[in-house]
Amino acid sequence: MRSTISSAESRIGEAAPHTGGQLPAAHRRTRERRNYRSTLAAAAFLLPGFLLFFLFVLGPLVFSFRISFYDWNIINSELSEWVGLENYTRALGDPVFRRAVINTIAYTVVTVPAQIILGVGVAILLNQAIRGRSFYRVIYYLPVITPWVIVSLVFEFIFVGQGGLANYLLKDVLHVTSENIRWLAHPILTFVPIFLLGIWKGIGWTAIIALAGLQSIPAAYEEAAAVDGATAWNRLRYITLPLLRPTLTFLTVVLTIGGLNAYISNLLITNGGDPQDKTHFILTLMYEATFEGLDFGYGAAISYLLTAFVLGMSVIQLRLLRKKVEL
Amino acid sequence: MTVTSQTISKGGDEAMTTSKLCTRFIALCAVLMLVGAACSSDSGDATTTTADGSGTTVPTETTTTSGDGTTTTASAEPQTVEYWHTMSDPETAQLEAVVAAFEAANPHITVETTRFAYDDFKAALLTALAGGEGPDTARMDIIWVPEFAELGALQQLDGVMPGFDDIADSVFPGPLATNHWDGHYYGLPQNTNTQVLLWNKSVFTEAGVDGPPETLEEFASVACDLSNPSDEEYGFALGGTYFWAPAPVFYAMGGQVVDNAITTATGYVNGAASVAAFEMLNDLYADGCLSPNLLGGGIGTADGHATGLYAMITDGPWMVDIYAGNYPDFEVNFSLVPANGSGSTSSVVGGEDVVVFADSDASDAAMAWTAYLMSAEAQKTMAEVGVIPTRADLIGDPDLPDYFGVFLEQLTTAQARVPHPQWGDMDNAINNAFQRMLNGEQTPQEALDQAADEINDLLG
Repeated sequence: MRSTISSAESRIGEAAPHTGGQLPAAHRRTRERRNYRSTLAAAAFLLPGFLLFFLFVLGPLVFSFRISFYDWNIINSELSEWVGLENYTRALGDPVFRRAVINTIAYTVVTVPAQIILGVGVAILLNQAIRGRSFYRVIYYLPVITPWVIVSLVFEFIFVGQGGLANYLLKDVLHVTSENIRWLAHPILTFVPIFLLGIWKGIGWTAIIALAGLQSIPAAYEEAAAVDGATAWNRLRYITLPLLRPTLTFLTVVLTIGGLNAYISNLLITNGGDPQDKTHFILTLMYEATFEGLDFGYGAAISYLLTAFVLGMSVIQLRLLRKKVEL
Repeated sequence: MTVTSQTISKGGDEAMTTSKLCTRFIALCAVLMLVGAACSSDSGDATTTTADGSGTTVPTETTTTSGDGTTTTASAEPQTVEYWHTMSDPETAQLEAVVAAFEAANPHITVETTRFAYDDFKAALLTALAGGEGPDTARMDIIWVPEFAELGALQQLDGVMPGFDDIADSVFPGPLATNHWDGHYYGLPQNTNTQVLLWNKSVFTEAGVDGPPETLEEFASVACDLSNPSDEEYGFALGGTYFWAPAPVFYAMGGQVVDNAITTATGYVNGAASVAAFEMLNDLYADGCLSPNLLGGGIGTADGHATGLYAMITDGPWMVDIYAGNYPDFEVNFSLVPANGSGSTSSVVGGEDVVVFADSDASDAAMAWTAYLMSAEAQKTMAEVGVIPTRADLIGDPDLPDYFGVFLEQLTTAQARVPHPQWGDMDNAINNAFQRMLNGEQTPQEALDQAADEINDLLG
């Protein structure tokens, strides 16, 4: 009887001496067989996913890491030349890359807090018993599901330098300016539509996640606080927000990763770094180097620098935000 | 009692997780083995059919030799040529007629055409070529040929393709030169184009200007006469600051990017004529005679010209079809790019080359198709929808559309951009220089001096 038990089982038996022998052996065997069968089934279901992951995620990941050390020839890879860390040092010394890093960080620093503040605000409003609540939820979520390409073109159109809706409002309605503002011709003003688009498109998603977080907070806390005479602001400040902390952590990390990976709006609105290569994001520069300049090694190095940065940022954020909730 | 029951359940859980892990691993191995067995049994099947049951270890060689056999004896067997392009709607429709005529004359060859959007084409080609799934032939932008040739993706055609010399002799030298890289030709000019001046007749008439300017001096003063920046009306507009946009004026002023041997930019892109060209454009911009749309985010040149905001633009022959579709009532008027002080005009050569890819497994058929695309017959068919032929013997052919006249005349003096794999980066250097001067950060001379240094770095 003992000999049929697997070695793993017997090791556990040693760790907890008087448990192993107590179950009837036959019972244990059927249970084991059932376990084995269900695990086999689970493995069979998992395998395609794993294969796809290895083939399409891990494989390319490792391969592009290799490429980043070469002057890579995409068509005849045997002609590729080993250059060591040159692609990395070139990126770090390239003013266009450094500008792209600053732009990407600026985008993240502006759009992530804005999305969280506005998104949580919307979530708090949508959490009230108001009429047509589901209608508002749909409306706020609509920007999320509209394609980036289309809304980027719409924002570009709004911020056209000769006329356009933004100039019309500022010049003819509000009289803030007497001349048309050349939004997209300016290395800083170009970011106005890009930032606004990023915020506008992200509020809905942030609000839905925050709403889920709000609904998991028991109403009793707020009610108790209200009975104790806490004002609405104090209830928000000392009860809702602290209890929302795990949700806010999640939002900050995910939105930061998303911000650092921003790409489509910039590519379409700046045509890849216009004016003067001063408006690139890291990913638009990567795309340009790779698919316009055919410099695959350089492009791969840029993406690995971004990966390292995103990884570092996420670790730091999780550390900083891991504090326990104390009411 | 309670304590023991807790330990029992705890111990049981631990036992389960460890044994679970173990069985999971075994299960994974088992599934992998199953998959492996399935794969090997597949190849096993293939071997038994070819090796006639004699053994299971011989197979790979027999299959490859039989594979080789089919490719070498292929000439009479049906072949398929894949041809990728970025043609417009009317061109794509017309291409079907060209394919039909070719297939009728070559019954053993089938041509499969695939159309791409221009912006996606380079990435699509690269991905396909890198994966060994590229087409046999393609029509690509003339400025890509040296780049793809340097990657080793293209087949050398001189001395390899039957009848190459005859075809090369029959085409315009400018477009042919765009296929030249490192001593060989890697393509043939399938179609060509250039930019000429478009002038809006009603704007000119309204302002009392008789006709299009003939000299650049006249052009500059007319551009300012027809401008009214407060209403966003400008005498001249460029599509952007990328080199293609100012290129007609640049070449007409006598500008040059590098020397003919492509060794240096010093004294060329920052030479007197090049600087004068950019100075003129820079002055027009500063004086409000050149639309600010070229720096981005403005009204497009095609729309602005048709609606009368931009009195003059430079553009290509495709504008006839675009305006026929978008502004059917607009009267398109072409004229030569205004001449420089010594009376000569110039412009920039555009167009597409047809290439054969190095790893095509039907290169004979691909070259036959390429030769047909270069024939007078095929070029005249395509000319019906506004595609300018590259064969010099078609100049003056009565079947060609009337408006081709000004483009063919402009082509006799138009110049090719630098045929070099790094042209894209050179273009970017000039683009940024142009933007720096427009923004007042540098004088045209300073900006182009910097561009010259950047281009010299690219030339190595």
